[in-house]
Amino acid sequence: MRPELGEFSSIVCFKALVTGAEEALGEKAAMITLIAAGRSRGKQLAEDLGIKGKGTSDENIVPLLQKALGKDGTRLCIVDKIEHEGALIKVYCRETICSAGEPQGSPRKLTFTLGAIQGVLEQVTGLRLRGKQTESVLRGGSHDVVEFETIG
Amino acid sequence: MSINIAKLESILQNLVTGTSDVEGAALVSPDGLPLASALPRGMDEERVSAMSAAMLSLGERIGNELARGGIDRLYVEGDKGYGILTSCGEEAVLLVLASKAAKQGLLMLEIKRVTSELKTALQ
Repeated sequence: MRPELGEFSSIVCFKALVTGAEEALGEKAAMITLIAAGRSRGKQLAEDLGIKGKGTSDENIVPLLQKALGKDGTRLCIVDKIEHEGALIKVYCRETICSAGEPQGSPRKLTFTLGAIQGVLEQVTGLRLRGKQTESVLRGGSHDVVEFETIG
Repeated sequence: MSINIAKLESILQNLVTGTSDVEGAALVSPDGLPLASALPRGMDEERVSAMSAAMLSLGERIGNELARGGIDRLYVEGDKGYGILTSCGEEAVLLVLASKAAKQGLLMLEIKRVTSELKTALQ
């Protein structure tokens, strides 16, 4: 790590990276790229945390994610809870890096954060998932909520 | 969602084994997730999927920004062969890998046929 600056960088730079990629590649290609990057990160994280194959009902999953991604971790976001609704897995997050610094009403959606959570869940469940953001703190929600459904 | 993955895999496998000079194929979601594939050994399905969807999307942007109209297909021609990306309805993108020896007309006909078959299987 950097001797003087340590391991953290400002959200301002992260957002500039996102908007710069969107400008160069288009929103959709940038979104695909950021989600893919997030998935890789999430999969690696699940391996590091030793939660591969544990299933989302394991009571340790949320505390482990909070520790790894929250205030004492990399500060990507705070994962408050994971719920099951039929075959859907719903993840409630707040203070996500993707929504940070955006004005209320902004149409911005989770990309890297969604991918990271998806990567973790795919490793935890052993399933192939597709995620969709259904609520946003930028559009009146108390959380950024992502719903995952199984593909196939 | 109840996509019949086995059916999709079978269509792709038939394309690869039944068409000379086709070396691999993959069907991916528009957001870059793998749906089914019959890729050469050593190719990472997830990386190929994200790359394919991003490329087609970038192609659409190029078509738009450079006033080329709607994009149906993207070709990558290398000295060892072709990579052809074809939009497969709203739900998927088809990638076909073919060797340099492939007859392009035949390849396009096969892609057209398989695309139609895949669209039916995706419904």
